[in-house]
Amino acid sequence: MTPHDWYVEHRTAWVARSLEPKEEQLFADHLRRCEECRVEIALLERDLGWLPMGATPSAPRPGLTREIADRVLRRRATWRHHAPALAAAAALVITAGLAGVEYRRRAAAEALLADRDRRLAALTDTLSVIRSAVRVVHHDISMDGHRGGLLIFLDETSHRWNVVVHGLPAPPPGSVYQFWFVTESGMVKSVELPMDGSRPAFATVPMPRKAATIMGAALTVEPMPAASDQPRGREIAHVNL
Amino acid sequence: MADSSEPGPAPATTTPIALARQSGLRAGLVARDERALVELIELATPWLLGLVQGMLRDQDEAEEVVAQVFATAWDRVGTLGDEHETIMPWLLRIARNRAIDRLRRRARLRRKAMRVEAYETAGPTSVLFREPDEAAQPGWHVHGSVHEALGALPEEQRAVVRLAYFAGLTHSEIAQELGIPMGTVKTRLRLAFDKLRTALAPLRNWVR
Repeated sequence: MTPHDWYVEHRTAWVARSLEPKEEQLFADHLRRCEECRVEIALLERDLGWLPMGATPSAPRPGLTREIADRVLRRRATWRHHAPALAAAAALVITAGLAGVEYRRRAAAEALLADRDRRLAALTDTLSVIRSAVRVVHHDISMDGHRGGLLIFLDETSHRWNVVVHGLPAPPPGSVYQFWFVTESGMVKSVELPMDGSRPAFATVPMPRKAATIMGAALTVEPMPAASDQPRGREIAHVNL
Repeated sequence: MADSSEPGPAPATTTPIALARQSGLRAGLVARDERALVELIELATPWLLGLVQGMLRDQDEAEEVVAQVFATAWDRVGTLGDEHETIMPWLLRIARNRAIDRLRRRARLRRKAMRVEAYETAGPTSVLFREPDEAAQPGWHVHGSVHEALGALPEEQRAVVRLAYFAGLTHSEIAQELGIPMGTVKTRLRLAFDKLRTALAPLRNWVR
């Protein structure tokens, strides 16, 4: 007797549901895997489908069939009754979801716009410095075989300078291009000018307030970190106004 | 007290009702026709109720199960496979399975012992068709055919079928109640079902 023979012998018991609970579970697991048994069970159920009609019918109490019909259909009616509220709730959820999405999109757009505004303001400011510049100074720089320059737009009305460094290679590793004001009282540290060798570096810098007279500007290559207030590195440009 | 749910002999003079409803209820249900549902409830409730009441011995619970059966049918009629599959055996199968599930949730041994005791007290021959107008019940001809098939079984096989199919007992419980080996129960049940299969095969669709 093969294991499958057991299932064959117990097909009728499965249909009758007279198997013990554990056997019934075993049979249910087998049915999921066995097409042959599924087909045979379906045939058995079909052939014995009318057997429950062997039970004597019981006259339902008055009103039962109506109650059952109402009960079955009321579930639908209940669904229909609640459908508008459910639809409204669903719409609310969807709206809230869309609002959330819209909020995030709007926040992202606003951040983008704010960034653009900042860039535009900076550009406008830069242009204003250039436009209102009373002096433009250019100084050629030769460095490690590269020919570049330092271009300064001086706006004495707003007390700002627009500084452009171009044509220079990236600073040696561990160093940085540092811009200095040259004043009567000495060198005043200004900004670092990041250069990657592929494009000019720009900076709009305020004129030092403490210095009575600005006599010029300088550009040095300072070792990092450029913590010192005084230049220690190699000076590659010195401009006298 | 007569046991209305146990299968008994078919009445001597049963006039088969020529049922007009050979098709359409299933299609009506699939089409969500509420009138078809109401018609099906009217036709099938007595049979489902008789079956389930006989198994559960509790009228309220039986009515609850029958209502659930129709709710299931209404929800799942679209999943009823073969287009030729009739709706009534499907409902009966659902009802019986639900009843057995409930039976097995109960304190089974105690309840079943009471059921068997009641059966033994009443005796299978005391099962009568008590209402003279039941023959007018739609489906009565099917009932008669099933009874004829059950009646053709040897008594020992019929007893096993009755306890397994109409009382929801397992093999071991039947063996205990009848005082016979479990292997004998299985053999009798298998032989009986083989015969019933053949005998019930000519039954044609009553409610489709």
